[in-house]
Amino acid sequence: MKDPILETRNLIKFFGDVLVLDGVNIKVGRKTITLIIGPNGSGKSTLINVITGFYPATSGQVIFEGQDITKKRPYQIYDLGIVRTFQTPQPLKKLTVLENLLIARKHVGENVISALNYKKWSEFEDELVERAFKILEFLRIDHLWDEESYKLSGGQLKLLEVGRALMTEPKLIIMDEPIAGVAPALAHEILKRIVELKNKGITFLIVEHRLDIALRYVDYIYAMASGKVIAEGSEEEVINNPQVVEVYIGGG
Amino acid sequence: MIYGLILNILLWFGFYLIISLSLNMEYGYGGIPNFGKALSVLVGAIVAGGVVTRILIYIYHIKIGIGGFSTATSAVSNEVTTLIAHNPLLGLALFLLTLILAIIIGCIAGAIFILPSARLKEDYLAITLLAIAETFTMICYYNQSIIGGYYGVSVPDFLAFIHTNRGVVFTGIVLLIALITFIFFERLMNTPYGRLLRAMRENEDVIRVYGRDLMKVRVMTMAVGSGIAAIVGVLLSYYTLRVQANSFMITGRTLWTFYPFLIILLGGASNNKGTAVGTIIFVTVMEVIDFYKTNIVSFLHLPVEAVWLEYILFGIMMLLILYYKPEGILPEKPIITPAIKKAYETKKVSKKGVREEY
Ligand SMILES: Nc1ncnc2c1ncn2[C@@H]1O[C@H](COP(=O)(O)OP(=O)(O)OP(=O)(O)O)[C@@H](O)[C@H]1O
Ligand SMILES: [Mg+2]
Repeated sequence: MKDPILETRNLIKFFGDVLVLDGVNIKVGRKTITLIIGPNGSGKSTLINVITGFYPATSGQVIFEGQDITKKRPYQIYDLGIVRTFQTPQPLKKLTVLENLLIARKHVGENVISALNYKKWSEFEDELVERAFKILEFLRIDHLWDEESYKLSGGQLKLLEVGRALMTEPKLIIMDEPIAGVAPALAHEILKRIVELKNKGITFLIVEHRLDIALRYVDYIYAMASGKVIAEGSEEEVINNPQVVEVYIGGG
Repeated sequence: MIYGLILNILLWFGFYLIISLSLNMEYGYGGIPNFGKALSVLVGAIVAGGVVTRILIYIYHIKIGIGGFSTATSAVSNEVTTLIAHNPLLGLALFLLTLILAIIIGCIAGAIFILPSARLKEDYLAITLLAIAETFTMICYYNQSIIGGYYGVSVPDFLAFIHTNRGVVFTGIVLLIALITFIFFERLMNTPYGRLLRAMRENEDVIRVYGRDLMKVRVMTMAVGSGIAAIVGVLLSYYTLRVQANSFMITGRTLWTFYPFLIILLGGASNNKGTAVGTIIFVTVMEVIDFYKTNIVSFLHLPVEAVWLEYILFGIMMLLILYYKPEGILPEKPIITPAIKKAYETKKVSKKGVREEY
């Protein structure tokens, strides 16, 4: 792969004595959709947490656009153009669905001094609200826009999590199981939207268990087991790989 | 007299509204458990009693003799008060100068106050803020060079030109400042900044993913909150014309940390109108107890003083609120920016309870 946007080099992560990432090397091609699969507990979410600065790596490197970002803090990683979602949705419970989306963008009106000058930020706020409603409509949760988000069902929360990421215009979106618990028809539409965004130039790194739905939309696949990459390549290469078959059928 | 009771209620409503609104921003909106709230009031009092008095001592060439700083403040306060009696402008200038200085120094102190703990999780944050505030109060008590320590200091009466009804005028000024504070916070909170504060309170991880430096938000918020709270310190100093560190020790912690928390929990955290409602209820109860305290004690044959009754009552009130009505009298509302207001006017409001499942 020439010029990957994201690369991990021999990433190792221990939790205490437990080795959770055992020298992970992945490359994510620019403007592609890369899928990570693997049984429960294989380290997929941990990999995302290390890449996005939520957990410090024990050793190894994370390279984004040629720059070492291993030691960067999450908010700095956002500034570089990476956004992530969480496997367990993280709603801002007492905020409405709309507010949950609006928070995704840094806002000129969010420091004390500029906040008091409404003229300075009202226009941007208008744009954000409009954009948020479009995304809510697309995700078919626009009827819930003024509900406090804790009232949403599990599937709806998942959509909210995805919607919040779509509010931003980053270079790379990392999603941890974006369609878990989402009905198949809508899941397909979300993935189609992801393909659309890819064609507009956004790169995706996705962790997903629902291969029946996800596989046809992705460009490249990594399979992980016990903190290691055990196979990579196209759908046929990975799915038919004997090791992959074994961890899945053998119950991982 | 009942007239005095009402005036007292209004005065303390003003004090408590200002401090509770500022705590509401920090804690109600931003989730910062500022258990050191009383410190910012003390900072305001220090500006009135320790900074401005020093400026006056310098201007009026008062000698600091064997009585030390404390005695010198009495001398300068007498002198300046006499001057103000014939020169209202001097009084107003003194008041405004003190206010502005207190706000600025309060902001700086608030920012520094949170710095050591800005990276901590909420629980540790609360304890650290409390500890820093207590330590600082102790220093002010045992070190006479700041505000006279145990002896305290005097401040001039900036209203010396008012010969009758000083109390009414003073209360009017406090209420005016409280009103401005209310408008300020209503305006400041109904912005993307207010939304960010609420989001920070709900989930810090989300805020970090979406690019916000929590530390910066906390520091900024504590600066504003403390700057406003320092106003209360100034007002109190000019109300009693004395500044004493021991009034910020045990009672100070109750009056300026515990009670403001009680008020915002009662009225509804993260709602400025709720804070105002909470304040009026709280202050009325407090003042009525205070007003009838001797009657209450003899009527109920209480073995304790009425002020203890007050503490007990407020303690119970706090528990009851937390247990039965944790959201307070007025529940939290979404942030209303102009764009969101438009959305509420034009979009269909969703039917509560109707949920489409995917
Ligand atoms: N904060 C943590 N502290 C200790 N151990 C952890 C922590 N987070 C994850 N682990 C452990 O690391 C291993 C990998 O977990 P991880 O969540 O990365 O797996 P996953 O591949 O995302 O699994 P799933 O498909 O169930 O989401 C698991 O054994 C888990 O128990
Ligand atoms: Mg996971």
